[in-house]
Amino acid sequence: MFLALASICFLLPLNGEATFANTTPIVATVQKVNGMATVIRQGQAISAKIGLELYQNDTLLTGRDGSIGVVFNDETLLSLGPESLLVIDEFVFAPREGKFSIAVRMVKGTVAYLSGLITKLAPESTHFRTPTSSIGIRGTKFVAKVEGE
Amino acid sequence: MSQWRNILFLWIFLWLLSGCGAHRAKRDLIVLLPDPDGKTGVLTVTTRGGSQILDKPGYGIVVEDLNQPPRASQPMDEKEIPDVFGPALSTLPDPASRFTLAILYFEHDTTKLTHESKDLLAEILRTIKRRQSNEVYVVGHTDLVGKEAYNTGLSQRRANYVRDLLVSSGIKPNTLFVSYYGKARPLVPTRDEVPEPRNRRVEVIVR
Repeated sequence: MFLALASICFLLPLNGEATFANTTPIVATVQKVNGMATVIRQGQAISAKIGLELYQNDTLLTGRDGSIGVVFNDETLLSLGPESLLVIDEFVFAPREGKFSIAVRMVKGTVAYLSGLITKLAPESTHFRTPTSSIGIRGTKFVAKVEGE
Repeated sequence: MSQWRNILFLWIFLWLLSGCGAHRAKRDLIVLLPDPDGKTGVLTVTTRGGSQILDKPGYGIVVEDLNQPPRASQPMDEKEIPDVFGPALSTLPDPASRFTLAILYFEHDTTKLTHESKDLLAEILRTIKRRQSNEVYVVGHTDLVGKEAYNTGLSQRRANYVRDLLVSSGIKPNTLFVSYYGKARPLVPTRDEVPEPRNRRVEVIVR
């Protein structure tokens, strides 16, 4: 599964980080890291550090002893336990235009989630998916475990 | 004889099929926890087979198979939450830096604040000034009495009324973000045309 993901990522064209950052808004920031935690962005593995900025389509990956905690721009809090994989499919927080959307996909492992402003202002725009189900969220905190393949 | 053999093959085939299916089945677990402010929200877990609602803190829902409905929620073993979710929970960033939500209530079909809400407004002003917040959301709502278009207008007037009050108290207009939803997002779900004071409100969210 990881090999497949890694090989797919490497087939994608690689853009320079600077150009990428200039055209894409930052959606979240890493606030806590323990052990091995990696961000996969456009085929490149970036070692997660406190303060690392995250973008839409980033994948978060933790090792056997790893965990990572991030804060989204709408104050959604999310953390992964060991051996976990989560994809940020979409994140739009533009109160000026009234545009709100958060879509994350838990592929495997454990996650803790505390919903933020998007869920408060536009509950139907929050999408949390696992391989078996989708979770509708109305203003709350929860944890989930996904067995994966 | 050959008929029996066919049946045997079919049986093996079905056994393999179901065996493989069972082997690939994923077991997901979703557990609702109390919010930092002590309240609890609601989760709806939906598979291709159906949905279950999770609304009690410390309860969990198990999903065995995406084609089956999730199982009904069950109270979790107290030890299981830290055992399974300890590392994730201890890495969740601190919610202390998050926003504050205050709800102002209105008299029926007016932009007149209730007596209690006038006091709360002073509190909101202090919070905005103390935090030097440059992101304040003002979100208007109504209860479910009356037509949608009328309520959309009413919720807009309520939100603008609160915005104007904040501006006249010295909050910069470019830090205030107004939105309004009429009767579309009741705080307390009711049937249509039911008067509900708790739904006649403006939410003020200070970051």
